[in-house]
Amino acid sequence: MAIHEKSLIDADRIQTNDNLVLDGVDVSGHWNTMVLPRYLKDYDTDFARKIRTFAGGENVHRCWQCGSCTNSCTVYAQNTDFNPRYWIYLTNLGLKDEILKDKDIIWTCVSCNKCTNICPKDVKPEGVMKALAHWLEEEGHTPESKSSIFDEEFLSQVYATGRIEDTRVLVNFLRKTNQSLTPPWLIEVGKRMTKYLPVSFLMHMGLHLVFKPRTKSWGRTGDVLRAYVREQKEIARKQRAMPKEAVHV
Amino acid sequence: MQNTVLVVGAGPAGLAAAAGVAGSGAKVVMVEKAAQLGGTPILSGYAKLVPSGEWARDAMGRMIKRVEDDKNVTIYKETKVTKFTGEAGKFTATLSNGTSVDCGSAVLATGFTHFDSINKPEWGFGSYEDVVTTTQVEQMVAAGKIACPSDGRVPERVAILLCVGSRDRQIGREWCSKICCTVSTNLAMEIKELSPTTDVFIYYMDIRTFGLYEDRFYWKSQEEFKTKFVKARIAEVTRSPDGRLLVKGEDTLVKRPIVIPMDLVVHAIGMDPNEDNPEIARVFGIGLEKHGFIDRAEHYTNTCGTTRRGIYAVGAALGPETIDDSISQGTAAAMRAVADMNALVQKTA
Repeated sequence: MAIHEKSLIDADRIQTNDNLVLDGVDVSGHWNTMVLPRYLKDYDTDFARKIRTFAGGENVHRCWQCGSCTNSCTVYAQNTDFNPRYWIYLTNLGLKDEILKDKDIIWTCVSCNKCTNICPKDVKPEGVMKALAHWLEEEGHTPESKSSIFDEEFLSQVYATGRIEDTRVLVNFLRKTNQSLTPPWLIEVGKRMTKYLPVSFLMHMGLHLVFKPRTKSWGRTGDVLRAYVREQKEIARKQRAMPKEAVHV
Repeated sequence: MQNTVLVVGAGPAGLAAAAGVAGSGAKVVMVEKAAQLGGTPILSGYAKLVPSGEWARDAMGRMIKRVEDDKNVTIYKETKVTKFTGEAGKFTATLSNGTSVDCGSAVLATGFTHFDSINKPEWGFGSYEDVVTTTQVEQMVAAGKIACPSDGRVPERVAILLCVGSRDRQIGREWCSKICCTVSTNLAMEIKELSPTTDVFIYYMDIRTFGLYEDRFYWKSQEEFKTKFVKARIAEVTRSPDGRLLVKGEDTLVKRPIVIPMDLVVHAIGMDPNEDNPEIARVFGIGLEKHGFIDRAEHYTNTCGTTRRGIYAVGAALGPETIDDSISQGTAAAMRAVADMNALVQKTA
C-alpha cells in the first residue's frame, strides 16, 4: 500500500523489508511497510547527570525553558534548527534519540556566549553545547572533531616546552587533519608577514622552529600538568560510568 | 450591647481571629464542626507547612494552645451554627447543641474542601491504587515513608500532575488554587529526602510559585533536588501489563505524544469551595460568589466584609488561600469585629 503524504512522516519511522515472507506469503518490498509510532516511550533518567560531568554542562538541570538562549543565539539567526533551548530540555528529560537527530549541527555553536550572558537561571547554554558536542564525540556518534585535534596538538606542545610555536601548531594541525599545508589564506598570511614584519622577528621565528625553545625552569611542570589533566578526565569518565543508584540526585 | 464575637471554624484563620479578638479584651465563642481544632492542616494530616517548614502539628498546636488557654474564649467542638438572626451589634446565634449565643459580630473562617479526584476519572484516581493525591503524600511524608500503596515498594519514579481540579472549565473549576505549585515542588523535595534514588517529574501547564516561593521552592526543587519539570497536561493515566502506571499526554515542547511509565502518580489537588457553603450562606444570610466561595464586600474600606454587615469572612472561605495569609486575614477580621463593637459603644454613649 502506498503511504499518502509520506513526506509528513519522519523518514526513520518508516520501515520496509526488501525481503519478507510471512506464513508462506511473499510480502517483500512496500507490501510490508510499517510506520513506527510517534510517541516518546521513556526518559533516560541518568542522561542529564552524565552531561553534567562534562565541562560546561554543570548547570543544565537549572533550565526552565524561557527560550532566552535561542532568542539571543547567533547561529539560530542563520539556522532555526539550531535551538539550544530545545536541546537543553531534551537533555534534562533524557530524550537522547531526539538529540542524536541534531548531532550534525550541535557543534556549529560559535561560542559567542550571548546565551550565557542573557540566561536568567545561569544555565550557561554555551557550555551545554560544548558538553553535548563532547558527549557526542566520546560516545562515537560524531567523529573526532578538528577542534579536539587542534587542542591535542596545542596541549602537547605546552606540556613539552611550556609554550607553543605558532608555525609548528599550525603545520601539525593541518597534517593531522589531512589538509593542504599551503592553503591560499596561509600563503597570503606569509606574504604579508614578509612584507610588514621586521626581519629580526622573522629570523626569530625561523630560529625557534629549529631550536624549540622552552620556558625557563619549566622542568617537570609539563609532566605534572599532563598527569593532572588526565586525572581530571578520568574522574569525569568514572562519574559518567557510575550506576545511577550509586550517585543519587 | 454585645462584647462577644462568634468565630466559625478553628483552622489557621479562625484560630488567628479568636486569638486577635480575645487579645483585645473581647469575648470569643468559637464553633468547630470537627471533633478536633486545627482545621485542614490537622484533619488532613499535613506534614511540614509551606513556607515555614515547621511540622503542621507543632505550628497548629501552638495556635490551638494559645486559644485554649485564653479564658476569653469559649470553644464548642462538633457543633454547627443552625440559626443566625439580628443585625450588626446584636446578633443571636443558635448552635446545634442548643446553646444560644449573643454576639456583636461574626467571623466566618470556614475554609475549603479538597477537590475530589474521582471527578477527574481519566487520571486514574479510584481506578489504580498507585494514583494518589498530594494530601496522601503529605500523610506519607508525615509517617516518614514514601511507598506505592499497591505493594509497598519504594517508587523509582513519581509523577506529580499539577492543576487537578483547578483551571479546568470541563469540571467547572475556573480558578487557580494558588498553592499547589509550591506544595508540589516542596513535596518533590520531601520525596527526594526520603528516597534519594527516586526521580520526581512535575507535569505542568505553568509554574505559579508566586512571590518569595520562587527560589525557595521552585528553584531549590529543580536545582538542588533535580526535580524534572515537563510541560505537558496529562490526558490519561492507564496501567501497563507489568503493573506500572503509564502517563499519556503531549509534551508541548517536544511537540510529540508521550507514554511514560511511572510508579506513583500524584494529583496536586486544588481547593474547592467548602462543600457546606450553601448551608453556611443560608444560615448566615450571606451571598456566594460565582465559583461558590463566600462573596466579598468591597475590600478597600470594608476589609474582610461579606454581603451582610457585621459578618466577616477570612482565609480559604473566600477563595484559594495560603495558610500564612489566612492567619493574617483572621487577625485583620478580629480587628474589624472589635472595631465594630467599639463604634457601637461610642454611638450609644
